[in-house]
Amino acid sequence: MNQGIEQTPMATEIEFGAQTDIGCVRESNEDFFGAAPELNLFVLSDGMGGLACGEVASRLAVETILTRSRSGDLEPASASSDGAITGVSAESNRLASATRAANEAVHRAAQNSGTGQPMGATVVAVRFVGERMSVAHVGDSRAYRLRAGQMEQLTRDHSFVAEQVRQGRMTEQEAGNSGLQNVLVRALGIGPEVEVDVSDELVLEDDTVLLCSDGLTRELTDVQIAAVLGECAEAQEAAERLVELAKQAGGGDNITAIVLRRAAKPVGALARIGRLGKWLKNSGN
Amino acid sequence: MPKLVLKFEKSILQEVPVNSKEVSIGRSPDNALVIDNPAVSHYHARVFSEDGRIMLEDFGSLNGTFVNGQRVKMVALKPGDSVAIGKHTIVVSDASDLDGFAVGQGASKAAAPKLNETVILDTKERRAFMQQIAAAGETSQVAPARMKVPTLLVRKGRTNHKEYALTDKLTVVGKSAMATVKLKGWFAPRAAAQINRRDDQSYYVGAADKTPAVNGNPIDRPTKLSPGDVIAVAGVELEFVYRD
Repeated sequence: MNQGIEQTPMATEIEFGAQTDIGCVRESNEDFFGAAPELNLFVLSDGMGGLACGEVASRLAVETILTRSRSGDLEPASASSDGAITGVSAESNRLASATRAANEAVHRAAQNSGTGQPMGATVVAVRFVGERMSVAHVGDSRAYRLRAGQMEQLTRDHSFVAEQVRQGRMTEQEAGNSGLQNVLVRALGIGPEVEVDVSDELVLEDDTVLLCSDGLTRELTDVQIAAVLGECAEAQEAAERLVELAKQAGGGDNITAIVLRRAAKPVGALARIGRLGKWLKNSGN
Repeated sequence: MPKLVLKFEKSILQEVPVNSKEVSIGRSPDNALVIDNPAVSHYHARVFSEDGRIMLEDFGSLNGTFVNGQRVKMVALKPGDSVAIGKHTIVVSDASDLDGFAVGQGASKAAAPKLNETVILDTKERRAFMQQIAAAGETSQVAPARMKVPTLLVRKGRTNHKEYALTDKLTVVGKSAMATVKLKGWFAPRAAAQINRRDDQSYYVGAADKTPAVNGNPIDRPTKLSPGDVIAVAGVELEFVYRD
């Protein structure tokens, strides 16, 4: 059992690469991503709402999760605290709690904006502790794990068409062609509370984890994505290739990809800072 | 063609036609009509056509199946009948006119104005429904002794226990610190296999450092477990069961 055993967080080393792009059609990039490398925490959000509200929402969601996770780590997680989810690790519960805080922040911002514009965001956040990865998500941004050439989607979309598929009322293909793909049934910021899906996952040394917005998965198939992840030696190169391919395929929406690998060898502090610089440069566009 | 319409309070959750194929009803996600509520048995009942009649059979479920208020074992259904299972209702509808369903229509309306933008389906009804589901879940947990516990029984091999209740969403088989099913021996892999409870409440076994076999067949993707399935990996055999 995961609960109760407080492992000393191993010095997990994660190699990461990320890329975001406005795509070929949209007028603004409402995707946003961020990381707290010292926590091995990575967050991606896809915002929605008129009058630049989408950009505000996704940024606020990501920043709230990063801030909450940094401060949350100073307090011990209480298993009996409100809304604790059973069957998952303490880290996963902390991540779920940070995600709920992001919901409150976006919801409050929408209420206070005075524009009357609805504001919402999807989010997918992962945090690595040793071989374990916590995954929290709301909406249709996804986490995948590539293991031995096989892609596995770790999150289930909170979208109308995905629900229809799960209930056997639509085939995968019908869902892929549906005009209702944009309809979400869950998102951050819509209500004062939100149900966050959270799970623990096993991540082995040769696994690759991908976080992405729907702008990527609308354009590329799992097989295409797996091929790129398998080909590229560097995580950053893989993220850039994926986004480029999605643009070539149409780029109908904003596209964001974060590629994460457990580094096989310990990575020096200098290399880490170098990567962080690159990350900041990329996220600042 | 007659239809079964699954409802909770006033919300329509699902509709299935009654044709030559039987309609299985239960909590387990492989049923045709899934009622995700602890008060409902995994395989609760079925509806099938026989000699032009629509028959309903209860599989000896714990909490029973009721037609128009009467507990039944096997009855013929007619249009307009109301079948109660737990707090859910299944209405037998003759209506070929019921083509759409509430959720779908709501969605197309909500989506119509600007299909390029992401929209959110979040009606008051849906929220109320979610709360009711949560409430129903709590009340039915009053009798936890009746809940079946998904369990791995060790049939072969060296592990730290003889059986494992799968209370966590992730269960790792191996030598790793995070493994629940701890393998013994020098050459045991750190993580031989993993078992995940996914959001459909089913359990899936997947490969880690090793590729497990289920009932003798090596798996090529995460594989859903059914009661009685035997997982073989790294010299151990684990049987998946639901225990009382």
